[in-house]
Amino acid sequence: MSDERKGTTMRTLLSVILLAALSASAYAQDEGHLNVRTVVQKEQVTVNETGEVKTELVAGDTFVPGEKVVYTITFRNISEEPAENVVITNPISGELMYVDGSAFGPGTDIQFSVDGGQTFANSNELTVTEGGVTRPAGAGDFTHIRWVMQQDLAAGAQGVARFSAILE
Amino acid sequence: MGKTRASGSAAVRRRCWHIAAGCLALLVSAEAFAVGTPVGTVIQNTATVDFDLAGTPITLQSNTTIVTVAERIDVVVTPQSPQTLVAANDTNRALLFTVTNTGNGSETFSLAIESVLAGDDFDPVPSVTPIYFDTDGSGDLTVGDQPYTAGNNDPVLAADASVDVFIVNDIPGTVVNGNTGLSQLTATSLTGTGTPGTEYAGDGDGGVDAIIGTTGGEGSDTGEYLVSDVVISVIKAQAVSDPQGGTQPEPGATITYTITVEVTSAGTATASEIRDPLPTFTSLVANSITLNAAGISDAIDADAGEYDTTGAATVVVRLGDLTQADGVQTIIFEVTID
Repeated sequence: MSDERKGTTMRTLLSVILLAALSASAYAQDEGHLNVRTVVQKEQVTVNETGEVKTELVAGDTFVPGEKVVYTITFRNISEEPAENVVITNPISGELMYVDGSAFGPGTDIQFSVDGGQTFANSNELTVTEGGVTRPAGAGDFTHIRWVMQQDLAAGAQGVARFSAILE
Repeated sequence: MGKTRASGSAAVRRRCWHIAAGCLALLVSAEAFAVGTPVGTVIQNTATVDFDLAGTPITLQSNTTIVTVAERIDVVVTPQSPQTLVAANDTNRALLFTVTNTGNGSETFSLAIESVLAGDDFDPVPSVTPIYFDTDGSGDLTVGDQPYTAGNNDPVLAADASVDVFIVNDIPGTVVNGNTGLSQLTATSLTGTGTPGTEYAGDGDGGVDAIIGTTGGEGSDTGEYLVSDVVISVIKAQAVSDPQGGTQPEPGATITYTITVEVTSAGTATASEIRDPLPTFTSLVANSITLNAAGISDAIDADAGEYDTTGAATVVVRLGDLTQADGVQTIIFEVTID
């Protein structure tokens, strides 16, 4: 158990126990007073009797090349202080191709990296140099996404960050 | 084309005969297929959160999600010889195909031939052993090629791997010149087939799920036999005359080429054309081309030929539809040695 965890209140500990009891797979971390959880899902398209097309996200742990993988990160401030300068960072695995425009995060500025997460910028500001030729970066160049919260995350508040990628 | 005899550098181009589609197919057959991430690959994802709490910077990691890459089953059959020229009563005539595993895992395929198809003039008759592997890679059916027996030597192909396969038919005796007969090769995944997205739980490599891809787990394509009993004889001769009145092939000497073309069998050679590239360091004597003693201008125009210098300098003479009744066609032209 970390030093930080020793400082948590009984209420925080209780909430962790409750979450663990709700779902064995819902692994949550609270050491820093933020509960961060990521899930992976796939799109399921169904057509009902009236021909209405409905796309919903369903649990998925196996994918085939060409399929869309949707990652959703939720984070909740379970401390009694506002969390400041909150930044969510997620790598894009080499087998995945980011779906242009799919990154989503209310109240965040979304930035990308093309250098393994060392530097970040808005997607239209990034360039890639190959063989001495510099060109604008494309979805296939992105190695990381980050969501920079524009305001503090108040105590008890929750945020969400999401992106999609195609399994190559 | 085994029945065409040619000598010298003259060549008979049978302008795709009746089937323009056969030419187009050649252009698009080299399509490449990406296979994708190998089956069984595990992709882990962990998000990181950085923030300040009461002035203290803190970094946290989320749980790690795990995605396992399932097997996608896809197969494509590509004809390598879209059209084969045959004669009535030919036996064991082969059509070559490539079977490619375009999925992302190892897969076993069964092979099948079908020769009763719509859209042709006759039904080829599958030979006693109708499917062979091009074991020696020669592109022709030879004694070293292994016969295929379903359930015995079904090809096992790794992701993106391919195998060349012949389907073999006999040609009925009733066919006539210009008839076409189609024959089809089908490769079917032994794990299963179905509409794209159909899932075979646990049937993929290493026990992962197998999912049918866009090809439905089955690939097929057809090749065509074209009956062409026409035998054409092409003979090229040359005579040199040097400026001294001798026959030495020296600079300044003139070479007179004589190409004789003759259909020596029944049938019609449609849209026959002779294209004869000039040897290097020679020049055509202007307006020296003749066909059956009638002059043909060098210009590219409406007459039966030209001196085409858009690419390699070539003498072109169009003979049109030729039959045995047309007799010997004689083309003569002169060049000088530079």
